Amino acid sequence: MMPSEDHSTDFSAPPMVEGIARVVAVEGSVVWLEPEQTSTCGACSSSSMCGAKGIGTAANSLERRRFPMDNQEKLTLGERVVVGVRENALVKASLTAYAIPLITLLVAGIVAQGMVGNDAITMLAMVAGLVIGLIVARISAKRLSTRGDLAPQFLRRAHAGETCHIE
Amino acid sequence: MGEYVLLMVSAALVNNVILARFLGLCSFMGVTTRVDTAVGMGMATTFVITVSSMADWAVETYLLQPYGLGYLRTVTFILVIAAAVQFTEMTVRKVSPPLFQMLGIYLPLITTNCAVLGVALLLVEGKMNFIEATLFGFASSLGYSLVMVIFSGLRERLALAEVPRLFAGPPIGFIVASLLALAFMGFSGMQTN
Repeated sequence: MMPSEDHSTDFSAPPMVEGIARVVAVEGSVVWLEPEQTSTCGACSSSSMCGAKGIGTAANSLERRRFPMDNQEKLTLGERVVVGVRENALVKASLTAYAIPLITLLVAGIVAQGMVGNDAITMLAMVAGLVIGLIVARISAKRLSTRGDLAPQFLRRAHAGETCHIE
Repeated sequence: MGEYVLLMVSAALVNNVILARFLGLCSFMGVTTRVDTAVGMGMATTFVITVSSMADWAVETYLLQPYGLGYLRTVTFILVIAAAVQFTEMTVRKVSPPLFQMLGIYLPLITTNCAVLGVALLLVEGKMNFIEATLFGFASSLGYSLVMVIFSGLRERLALAEVPRLFAGPPIGFIVASLLALAFMGFSGMQTN
């Protein structure tokens, strides 16, 4: 038997996380795409009974998740396309959005507890730390965004029956 | 400082949320098919658990205990957690719309994650002060993320392995999870020292 090749440790070209989006508007050279229901919530077998569905899920926030893209492929209204973001972009994005505010929050809390030792003051320091962290996260998210690390890229047009093929 | 480190190691490894307390098993099996989704879910859960631990501690100390409303604890905590998730969703959207497009999908799933409520109830039992409660929440969720990432890595390998047809998919996943839980039991030896 051939030993299976190990692709998971090859980080030279991070694979893309693919998703399917539909063209909902064409404005000159820019198309607006709306992601189709993604696998995490919509494909779940209990989605019809799921209590989390009403609280800002993919189902009712699809409209808010629309995103623009350059129309280099001459896409038309209603067309389905496969878009992708780099796999490590997701890790970078979650580190930016969550790790930075958490670190500033905890550092502020530990410093305040060490200096004063009062719960109320620690709490205030943590809230201040969280706000500072969010500002820092905002700045670094902008930087990531201008480098194009977060924007989905056009991969190909979707076939007629193609759906997300995430197990 | 030493006691904080001990508290965090105990919460993250010895009493791991998933493998020792068996909380949050639905997301543990559900979103661990890929490492990147596990990281996204783990980080989002870490943030929500830490923020909701802080809020739950404040609600417990300043509202429920003084007015003898302990019987409302579960309901109140669920409300606080839902609010924390909404707060996180709003903040991420405000901080960066592109980030929200990538990460927003994981947030609603956390509302129904029992690990969040479990950690909140455990920190009330532990009679901790504010900083300890926050660090306990943070470390517990870090342990949760660690297990999620390890398990998703294992499942990515499993997807390539030849598994007997009867065991393919979730069954072999559960077997691997049990082996992982056994491995984490090794950390409980640290408790007596």
